[in-house]
Amino acid sequence: MSKLTRSILYWLLLSPLVVVVLFPFAVMFITAIKPQAEVLDPTWWPSAARWANFAEMWRATGFGAALLNSLYVSGMATVITTVVSIPAAYALSRYRFAGRGAFRQFLLVSQMLSPIVLVVGLFRLVAAVGLIDSLHAVTMVYAAFNTAFSVWMLQSYFATIPKDLEEAAWIERASPFQTLIRVFLPLAVPAMVVTAIFTFISTWNEFVVALTMLRQQSAYTLPIQIFSLVAGRYTVEWHYVMAAAFVATIPVAILFAWLQRYLVRGLALGAVK
Amino acid sequence: MGRRATAYCLILPSFLLAAFIILWPLKEIVNLALHDVNRFGLLRAFSGLANFRALFADPDFLAALWRTLVWTAGVVGGTLAVSVPVALMLNGDFYGRGIARVIVMLPWAVSLTMTAIVWRWALSGESGMLNSGLQGLGLIDGNIQWLAEAWTAFPMQVLIGVEASIPFTTTILLGGLSSVPDELYDAAAIEGAGAWDQFRFITLPLLRPFINIAVVLNTIYVFNSFPIIWATTQGGPANSTDILVTYLYKAGFRLGKLGEAAAVSLIMFGVLLVFTLIYVRLAMREEAA
Repeated sequence: MSKLTRSILYWLLLSPLVVVVLFPFAVMFITAIKPQAEVLDPTWWPSAARWANFAEMWRATGFGAALLNSLYVSGMATVITTVVSIPAAYALSRYRFAGRGAFRQFLLVSQMLSPIVLVVGLFRLVAAVGLIDSLHAVTMVYAAFNTAFSVWMLQSYFATIPKDLEEAAWIERASPFQTLIRVFLPLAVPAMVVTAIFTFISTWNEFVVALTMLRQQSAYTLPIQIFSLVAGRYTVEWHYVMAAAFVATIPVAILFAWLQRYLVRGLALGAVK
Repeated sequence: MGRRATAYCLILPSFLLAAFIILWPLKEIVNLALHDVNRFGLLRAFSGLANFRALFADPDFLAALWRTLVWTAGVVGGTLAVSVPVALMLNGDFYGRGIARVIVMLPWAVSLTMTAIVWRWALSGESGMLNSGLQGLGLIDGNIQWLAEAWTAFPMQVLIGVEASIPFTTTILLGGLSSVPDELYDAAAIEGAGAWDQFRFITLPLLRPFINIAVVLNTIYVFNSFPIIWATTQGGPANSTDILVTYLYKAGFRLGKLGEAAAVSLIMFGVLLVFTLIYVRLAMREEAA
């Protein structure tokens, strides 16, 4: 089979999946640019592309405030997760110590538990410290639930960095801390950046914790804000909802498309090592 | 400072953070599940297994339990059936492979909430673009109210679940395929093995550990998955698309039955622990091999 025939055959076989994947994007985009009068009309092509919908949506849906909340929560959660994960991943990949296995099992179990399973207890924890509607509480919960994934990814990358340089530094009597900062971390920067971005994306998209902990609209993150435009309403302004979903989704999708090969590698390493 | 002490200092911050935010709620849930709890969350008398008994006497819970099984099996099975051939193709050499990979991975980048909201709109009866698309292709005559009844809503939710799970599964399988050395295929081709035999005797056995891991991890994720069902139907109409997580959420935050909600959490925790043990055994076998 020549490469050309194979390409045609593969694309034909993949085409149903491609359609299913691209369909929601098409729906989102086309609805977002429809004039209001045509929104409830299920035509594929609007009579005119109404770009002003995006600007109107921004004002009508309180998009800006929710965007800031989301940036704040995801940014802080990513920083905290990364800061606590790097030393842990370093310890797991470079030290043998009693309890190492137990710590890995603990991470594994905490990775398996999604917040929804613990949501009643989480709510009580946050309520007990008086932080309902607080973005900081959501930030800490995100950081805790993303730590396992982050340590796991980082550790699988760290294991691929040769130990020789660090051993040389130890021989030169550098302290473990100096070795970590001066020798190891510069080599690990790409892995850390990639892991941090994945943490950011996962917190950016989180739903259950935000839905439970954030009760006032002023504290809503983007997924909750957009969900609130749809849930329990008689009239839904779908062109605004789709415009908001589009703006919230596309930057992350582009970032992700660019980084997905790192994920393939990191997961493949992590899954077996 | 000894090396061992250093190691403990390094893992301590992550351990404290995760332990506090995961173990403390877990302790709360155990407490709630074993007590009579009023709707404001005040613990009253110790009630043993009364909350669990109440659950198993509730036909809605039993229906949700059964539906969770169908949901998990449907999404995980459907995902695998699509992902294996897709991964095999994406691992091959063809024009436009880079674009194909990006498209297949794309749903991963979109939050489940957004995916579900967009589908909810696309599936709407009168204004939905799925109906108009299918009519345009001549596949259906009238409008279908996809989300108005469980027998059309639930299968669509399973399909959305499959769509959302394909990228992760394909990623794991591609990782597995990239570890199969090309020489094996060359050798097999010299021996006269056809494409099907190569798949059966080389690819599949080498891919099996990755398939196992993908199945277990997907089972865990899908079993836990909340946004797809919540953002499309909120478990309705009349609780007919509830799975355990939506039942749990409603019990805890709508009906004020915190004790029963906590009991559902504990049941789910038990099931997840079993899945995790299976995963650990599979992963260890992999490490030993």
